[in-house]
Amino acid sequence: MRVTFDRGTLLVNGPLADDQREVLSQIPGVLWDPRVNAHRAPARLAYALVAALGRKGVPIEDAPRPRLTPPTGFRAVPLRPYQEAALLAWRRAGRRGVVVLPTGAGKTRVALAAIAATRTPALCLVPTRALLAQWVTAIAAFHDGPIGRFGDHERVLHPVTVATFASAYRHMATLGDRFGLLIVDEVHHFGHGVHDEALEMSIAPLRMGLTASPSEAGVAPLTRLVGPIVFQLSVGDLEGQYLAPLRRIAWGLRLDPDERREYLALREVYRKALREFQGRHLGSHWKDFVAHASRTDEGRVGLSAWRRASRLLAFPRCKQQALALLLERHRGQRTLVFVAHNETAYAVAREHLIMPLTCDIGAAERQEVLRRFQDGTLRALVSAQVLNEGLDVPDAEVGIVVAGRMGEREHVQRVGRLLRPGQGKRALIYELVVMESNEVGQARRRSERLALGSRPAA
Amino acid sequence: MLSVADLPLRFIEPGFFIDFLGPQDEPWLRVLLDEAGRFEGRPRRELAQRLAEPLPCDAPYFKRRAASKVLFRLWRREPLGGVAPRALREQLFTDAAASGGAPAPIVAATAARLGLDAASLMAGLFADLPGERLVKPPELVPGASELALRTNLAVAQALLMRASTLNLTIEGAARPIVRLAKWRGLLCTVLDCPTRPQARAPMLTISGPFSLFRHTLLYGRALAELLPHLAWCARFQLEADVVLRGRRGRAVICTGDPIFPSTPPAAFDSQLEERLAHDLARAAPDWDILREPEPVRAGETLIFPDFLLRHRIHTDRRVFLEVAGFWTPDYLAQKLERLREARLSNLILCIDEARQCGEGGVPPDARIIRFRRRVDVAAVVREMKRLTEPTREPVADDG
Repeated sequence: MRVTFDRGTLLVNGPLADDQREVLSQIPGVLWDPRVNAHRAPARLAYALVAALGRKGVPIEDAPRPRLTPPTGFRAVPLRPYQEAALLAWRRAGRRGVVVLPTGAGKTRVALAAIAATRTPALCLVPTRALLAQWVTAIAAFHDGPIGRFGDHERVLHPVTVATFASAYRHMATLGDRFGLLIVDEVHHFGHGVHDEALEMSIAPLRMGLTASPSEAGVAPLTRLVGPIVFQLSVGDLEGQYLAPLRRIAWGLRLDPDERREYLALREVYRKALREFQGRHLGSHWKDFVAHASRTDEGRVGLSAWRRASRLLAFPRCKQQALALLLERHRGQRTLVFVAHNETAYAVAREHLIMPLTCDIGAAERQEVLRRFQDGTLRALVSAQVLNEGLDVPDAEVGIVVAGRMGEREHVQRVGRLLRPGQGKRALIYELVVMESNEVGQARRRSERLALGSRPAA
Repeated sequence: MLSVADLPLRFIEPGFFIDFLGPQDEPWLRVLLDEAGRFEGRPRRELAQRLAEPLPCDAPYFKRRAASKVLFRLWRREPLGGVAPRALREQLFTDAAASGGAPAPIVAATAARLGLDAASLMAGLFADLPGERLVKPPELVPGASELALRTNLAVAQALLMRASTLNLTIEGAARPIVRLAKWRGLLCTVLDCPTRPQARAPMLTISGPFSLFRHTLLYGRALAELLPHLAWCARFQLEADVVLRGRRGRAVICTGDPIFPSTPPAAFDSQLEERLAHDLARAAPDWDILREPEPVRAGETLIFPDFLLRHRIHTDRRVFLEVAGFWTPDYLAQKLERLREARLSNLILCIDEARQCGEGGVPPDARIIRFRRRVDVAAVVREMKRLTEPTREPVADDG
């Protein structure tokens, strides 16, 4: 019997005796594929399948192994005590699992130590092109060999390769049997069914997920794909010693009377549509409303009103004035301004002459901007979402959250941009909150999420 | 790709039905084209915002959304002129960080240094970014009817992108479809069609290896790519297993549905084949040379001969001809085995001796004609006549 890798799956080839067919049909995940008259399984089961067959005494002539040679040329990766603990916890969990550390705590360093220690070809998956470049730089600091890249118009394969999620999704049918270790940065993006195939189509038995904000919704699938949470620390656990101390100031603002009238009118249109929908669909939720709203004129109007109300809250005059005051007050400090939409970022850029960092700005210019922010040529940046996740922004001291769209997880990530420790550094974050609006509840939930203490590892 | 919120579809158990755009939609499509035309030379963001809003006439909501998206994608970006916006940004924001103070004097000073006025500086600051780029219409602006066809194609493809398996019945020009599917890493298998056991057209099921485990969108793009090529088949019916808006259903697209076709397929795969067809036409004037005939079933797969050579009078005298590209002895052995399975005795296989890729000799078989660079047409004609020669003389009709 031969087990071969076939475009992200495993094919069991060769003449099979009846008892061998019986054994195969009992292994979870293995199915008979009538299209090719053979048994087939997702590639992630490669080692489990071979082990299960071995236990049943079924002889196997050939089985998939990582086709790339192990990487060489890794130097020792110095770790802080909690990073060592995270690595140890991952090892003890069978080298499968998720490490949860706040932004700025050095998750990448833990992953690099794992790659160096396992000495197996490793594929690092990252959500964005900006992070791809950042990971390549981080790996190069401890690895003398070549580094592969899949994404951002490049397809270069080496024993240590970094790929964007989108590239991995598209190319795992060919990449899936090359690596023995998968590192998944911002792993909370998986486990929801979208693009999970990127992890299912790899034979890699060793897997490490990294995140600052684990998703509670996708825990079970993520455990299946990467492993359970094996180590978790929050901002509160590291603040002061390993992360800069943080001071939060929520600034309650009031809309001008005309904006307030407009806001209330829009909210009323939206609420009326929502009430009508909920009257017809008892027990329904906001998500159901959004899913159904486009099918009726009332729903479309309601949803449109909700969007306009959200845009109004995103950057009303009171926030514009508050932002001007804060930028003036902290003119001498490195400041990050977080807004909800790119167009707001450009408006802020024009009004206050701050460089915007959005997804529209190309990778080369983005790197250049970050470099100039680091050396002090630029004192402030304004961003909608690019700075939300993962991107290293050195030594920002002040954050101003004008508005957001993605909820508490986004906020945790944004706050993390400010927490990289520095000599005598005290991070300061302002949240501009419009009173008597849904932003009050959002601010409370963000505060609760940040204050979460450490939880015991699973 | 169009999003789910753009698709003019109805779900009626057990399937999805596309509300195709047709002549009845042309009046509002013309208004849409006119509205888009007003935004020539304006930022792309403004065109997008306008197309997202209602038209000054009645238009079906989902159809309008879909057509607007398709039209938006056809518009091009104006080339940039003047000082590069990236240089403007670098200069202005560096100056602002260095000097501090009110924005207006900083803008004026930077603009003067760059030889611009302040308004031009601010207008060009983000002019290279996707939403801010100025737009121009396509070189050939589609008419309302073409826009309708293009929208229908986009809607049907968006539907197929949510599919994991296609069942496809094709008559004529099946080969490019199967070839494209295999090139995209899909599995093609031949299905028995219980309702039409004598049907000439093969029924194919096309899916990806991973589709076995669950409904996946992994192969949606590859499946959707097949659709515009189907327009060149004599007849086809496509059934897709689709999950959309939380519902699972069947979508059917078939010959006659108003979708925009792909560019016509090339008449020949290579110059070699083109030359062979030309030489054969001269060497055997009594024979018709038919390119890409109907596929022949061999077990659970199909064989796609390159040519069918058919006598013009005695139409039962038929020979299939296939020209192998790169080959190995193993490949040839498997091929001959499949021909035996298909009981296809009247197939001539031409192999280029210069394109052998593996070790070993050519399996002995009378149907193999070797050549170098150019097929020996005389040998083909000899073999063709030998295979179709009547085994006995016809009985004379004495009247």
